Amino acid sequence: MKAVILAAGKGDNLKPFTDTRPCPMIGVAGKYLLDHSLDLLQKAGINDIFVVVGHQKDKLVEQIGEHVHNGLNLQYVEQKRSGGIGDAVLKVQDKILPGEYFLLIYGDIVTADNIFTKTQQSFHAFKGPVASICLPPSNEMFGNVFLNANMNITKIIEKPKGDNLGNYVLSGVYILPESFFSLLETNGRSMEKAIKALVKDEGLRASMWEDEWMDVVYPWEILRANKIIMDSWERSEISKTVTLEANVTISGTVHIEDDVIIKAGAVLEGPCSIGKGSYIGNNSLLRSYTALGDNCSVGYGVELKNCVVQKHSHIGRLSFIGDSVLGENVDIGAGSMTVNRQLDWSTIKVKHQKKAKDTGILKLGAFIGDDVVIGAGNTIEPGTIVPPGKVLPAHYSVPNK
Amino acid sequence: MCGIAGAVGLKDISNVLFDGIRNLEYRGYDSCGVALINGKGIVVKKNVGGVGDVYQKENILRHASHMGIAHTRWATHGQVTRNNTHPFLSCDNNFAVIHNGIISNHLELKNRLQKEGHRFQSETDTEVIPHLLENAYKKTGNVEASLLLALKQLEGTFAMAFISNHEPNQIYCAKRESPLLLGIGDEVKFIGSDFNAFIDHTKNAVIIDDDEYAIVSKDGYTVKNFVTMEEVEKSITRIEWDSETSKKGGYPHYMLKEIYEQPQTILNAMEVEEGTIDGLVNMIHKSKSAQLVGVGTTYYVTMYANYIFSSLAGRYIPAISSDEFVSLSPVDKDSFVLAASQSGETYDTISALKHAKARGAKTGAIVNVMGSTLSRMVDYPVLQGSGPEICVISTKAALAQMILLTRTALKLGVKNKKLTQKKYNEYIESLKSLPGIIEGILNERSGFIHRIAHSHRNVKHWLYLGRGMYYPIALESALKMKEVAYIHAEGMPCGFLKHGTLAMIDSEINSIVFVPPSSEKVLYESTLASVAEIRARDGYVLGIHFEERNHSKGLYSEELILPPVPPVIAPLIQMVIAQLFAYFTATSLKRNVDKPRSLAKSVTVG
Repeated sequence: MKAVILAAGKGDNLKPFTDTRPCPMIGVAGKYLLDHSLDLLQKAGINDIFVVVGHQKDKLVEQIGEHVHNGLNLQYVEQKRSGGIGDAVLKVQDKILPGEYFLLIYGDIVTADNIFTKTQQSFHAFKGPVASICLPPSNEMFGNVFLNANMNITKIIEKPKGDNLGNYVLSGVYILPESFFSLLETNGRSMEKAIKALVKDEGLRASMWEDEWMDVVYPWEILRANKIIMDSWERSEISKTVTLEANVTISGTVHIEDDVIIKAGAVLEGPCSIGKGSYIGNNSLLRSYTALGDNCSVGYGVELKNCVVQKHSHIGRLSFIGDSVLGENVDIGAGSMTVNRQLDWSTIKVKHQKKAKDTGILKLGAFIGDDVVIGAGNTIEPGTIVPPGKVLPAHYSVPNK
Repeated sequence: MCGIAGAVGLKDISNVLFDGIRNLEYRGYDSCGVALINGKGIVVKKNVGGVGDVYQKENILRHASHMGIAHTRWATHGQVTRNNTHPFLSCDNNFAVIHNGIISNHLELKNRLQKEGHRFQSETDTEVIPHLLENAYKKTGNVEASLLLALKQLEGTFAMAFISNHEPNQIYCAKRESPLLLGIGDEVKFIGSDFNAFIDHTKNAVIIDDDEYAIVSKDGYTVKNFVTMEEVEKSITRIEWDSETSKKGGYPHYMLKEIYEQPQTILNAMEVEEGTIDGLVNMIHKSKSAQLVGVGTTYYVTMYANYIFSSLAGRYIPAISSDEFVSLSPVDKDSFVLAASQSGETYDTISALKHAKARGAKTGAIVNVMGSTLSRMVDYPVLQGSGPEICVISTKAALAQMILLTRTALKLGVKNKKLTQKKYNEYIESLKSLPGIIEGILNERSGFIHRIAHSHRNVKHWLYLGRGMYYPIALESALKMKEVAYIHAEGMPCGFLKHGTLAMIDSEINSIVFVPPSSEKVLYESTLASVAEIRARDGYVLGIHFEERNHSKGLYSEELILPPVPPVIAPLIQMVIAQLFAYFTATSLKRNVDKPRSLAKSVTVG
């Protein structure tokens, strides 16, 4: 079966990280979201994969080119102008043969276990169109699915109103027939309407997914995606080219890639991951759910906790980064600190599309875009978003007048 | 509690047996094994684990054979070890035996056989059988005669089957008390503990009765009585379930599938013929004293019926837990004893009814499995028609039993002149609205219930509270939580709180309260008073209720608000909510939902 991954969207809610990359190119737990999906697809026995690209496509295309996925036949299809999900799906119309079924995947979903295998099993049982459904942490963002006892989807209600409502939602994984393209065309290229038409005409069966699932919508949800994947690790993997100096303490599951250097006295509390060629300075403390991308450097005595750092970033000595996400090529000066809670332990709000959005989270640090430079000695307020390329001067208590 | 299967006729019988015992896994699943016959003799492959595991570990599918028997075990005697797994061989390897039941005189037989030089590999009661067969064959030189000689020495209960090198084309089986059936395919003949052993291959079954044995070959079968020695004419029963309905079909677990099937099982229960219900009503009406029996979930079903019969029919019919029936019930020839059992094979309930029958009482049963022991032993069986219930935890079967008992109570109410025909019709209409309401709740609230369950998954203690007919619902709902999530949950009448149990309320114990609709004024207000008692001690209360949010502002810690419904179906809807609550707690804790530990589908041992 062929698979189609939708990766063209702008992902406005995920700024500052989607300013400079498409959502599936966000790295968590040592890999891009796209790579996590590709791994699961390969394990599910799917090798022919089309990726629909658009927003910031070069980053993704370059990655596909550079990445050799053993045995995967990976091709990209371009959606030049943003025209919604339905339009993106139609871009692969000529890749799917008449009568053929294909697996359609939204590029921003994260699961620990193999949702694709499960959906395929349901497809083989039902021998017809299948939508994977799951139970999200909240229903406000998603369409509620109504089922009968035979797992036929009877209707889909967008964002239900009323007390105590909330049901299974569409998880962004479908197995659809080639005839679905004509449904999209007759329904104004709207995915929502075409799915409803499919429910009415041919019927759509549900495949229930009960394991962890999430749709990465907001920047702070990158931390949760990171956690879901790290929690699914069963064993540690440490490359044989890693240099571990004396008195390095490692506990829990860790993934440490080629040519990493960890200096004496460092403590790693798994789960955490360290990308290729990174450097961990003396006496630093990497607490659980820390993910460092390739070629990062962490100075002497730095404390990292539940944070996701993209590649080529540098964190200066004696800094603390906690419950935060850092982009690529970020430079944090010595002695900087992300403050990660409010004095009164109230939930942390993040400025989102000019409004303060309550995250409902008690501990949250900062979201720092690519190429940001933060001078030494800064303290960053909880929930701060720093746009890409911003340069913040160092903070001196005794300036050189 | 075990499952047995056997098949004769095809070259790849190990494949057929695999389907057979896998479909029986719900009867027991701590270890399994098969015995196959090939050109060189009997091959026994067995190990500890589920059927899929053992087949893989022992590479069983590699063994081509035209005949074999298989067993999946739930330990009663001896530990779960490879040695204690069936089938068992005789010393000369000429007999391989599987067995479900308990041989009560096995110690005595084992002593004797050991003295005669037989070597035993296991701690099980079953292993005496192959050695008895071996001895008997030495005397008789005939396999059938050996079976009869062995049967004479066995005391206790059994459904057993064996294959022998001396007759390599026939399976021998015999039954006393434990269930046994034959499956009659065109090219293959089967044996099994129930239909599921061969449902993938044939819908034609022959039910073996107590004290009968059968000899089964590729081309046919003979059934004889081992007490009278006469041949028995058996009729073929056609199984109406198709194998698809026994499969999960997209649902992650049978339990959830069966919860979702409840609208249909209620419809089926509503379609059980009026005349059938009338018959039950007459039996109750004529009896001087009537009693209800069930055990586990069905005990709570009958307890619920106890309230329903009192309130709707003005008749007090006590519910007695089957296992306590013999100690408690003053049953006599003027009594009528009505049992509820999904499988119809529940040992405790069968024992209770045997006791009642021995005292001359009339008996009835609401059962789901036709042809089951219970359905054949009682004077008046009622089949609930809920379809196969595969999950070990009962959901849909219990709800259907409650519907049938409510229908019975309503008819009895009319007969007793407690209910007018008009009132009766209203109640029936309410019952008919139940499937639609449950479907709506499943479709609109599953996610919400999941969120509450998930957020409280680490709570170690739950109190389930209700008053009146909500009390048995609380008990049943707490049992669900215990069975499937392995979490301490205690069902209790609200009124108990002020008799000491309030002392338990602290941050470690959560309460769920089943609140009646406010139209049940007295019950409603007294239930709220109990909620207030817990809240006053800072206890957490999840209220499941039917009122507007503002009606009870701030009273509950969390609430699950249901649409307004007629009082007669309100408790049943709350029970469905509690099923989902237990289910989602169990999946959040990654429990083995369909096969929870320490429980088998039909508990056929005492």
